[in-house]
Amino acid sequence: MEDRPYFIVGDLIANLSVGILSAIACAALFGTGSNMFFAMIVGMLVGMVLAMVLGAALFFRYFGAMEVMIPTSLTGMIAGMIVSMWATMGAVSTSGAIFLGALSAALSLIITYRLQAKISGIQEGV
Amino acid sequence: MSSANLGTKNAPQTDKATQRKWDNAAKAFDFMTGIGPDKRWGPYKSLMLANMNADADILFLALGTGLDIQFFPPQRNIQAIDISPKMLENAQARIDQYDGSINAQTMDVHQMSFEAEQFDQVFTSCTFCSVPNPIGGLKALYQVMKPGADLYMFEHTGSKHYPFKLMMDLMTPLTRKVGPDMNRTTIDNVQQAGFKIQQINNVYLDIVKIIHATKPE
Repeated sequence: MEDRPYFIVGDLIANLSVGILSAIACAALFGTGSNMFFAMIVGMLVGMVLAMVLGAALFFRYFGAMEVMIPTSLTGMIAGMIVSMWATMGAVSTSGAIFLGALSAALSLIITYRLQAKISGIQEGV
Repeated sequence: MSSANLGTKNAPQTDKATQRKWDNAAKAFDFMTGIGPDKRWGPYKSLMLANMNADADILFLALGTGLDIQFFPPQRNIQAIDISPKMLENAQARIDQYDGSINAQTMDVHQMSFEAEQFDQVFTSCTFCSVPNPIGGLKALYQVMKPGADLYMFEHTGSKHYPFKLMMDLMTPLTRKVGPDMNRTTIDNVQQAGFKIQQINNVYLDIVKIIHATKPE
């Protein structure tokens, strides 16, 4: 598991940025009465695309490629999905979107760090 | 030893589309990968490349701009290839600084001009995410390796775990246009090419890994 402070801070910055921006974008994209299923799918894609764009523009260079791309894409997907669906049931405030984006980032990092702790390492004679 | 006619059936002379893609990527390659990915993966690449034996005939596949040379142990005699002449131009300063010998040539893995059964060890680093015909490329490597020779690969592959598998399948059509595929089944490809897997070291999830395989005796 990653234990270098530079990369742990980098993971936090990258995932919080993607989560919050995806959430704010999806809160602005969808409104009450939108089709919830459509909003969910589009929201997930918006989150993933934002993760790729922000990653390529800002984060891969400083914090790594796969280790940034994978969790930030998951963060974008989760944030996009939750906020888009929520927005179809009622307006999501900016502070609400920021909170949900940050929560998505935390969830994604917990999932990837835990999975990393579980499956990283050596397998002999596969 | 006979001269090897390597690669897949009907393989083109050099895959010009792939060459053009990596020539285009050469300018920004160090800018994109020179800090973060290098720092993340440096310790693991050093670990893998420490297996380069002093008395071995070594092939390093896809030298790129030579960013990995800093992790080579000193005093090795290494043949290196890359499909992109622009990448190798950018690698020249690093090649010159290496404390040992690196003979870098522009060459397509599907059309290598080496002798059959020439090498004791072959190393790849983030290569088979981009080779258009990975099994064909691995079979070409198999032919230039001596029986019992070692293949060490530092590669990113697809994941078996959801939702990562789905995400990487969705990303690949995009990433393929400017660089690598994200969902390669490299371990299966290595086995299909005839190698025996000795060890897999998962560096990041089941996505970034060091694969050690051997050509059977």
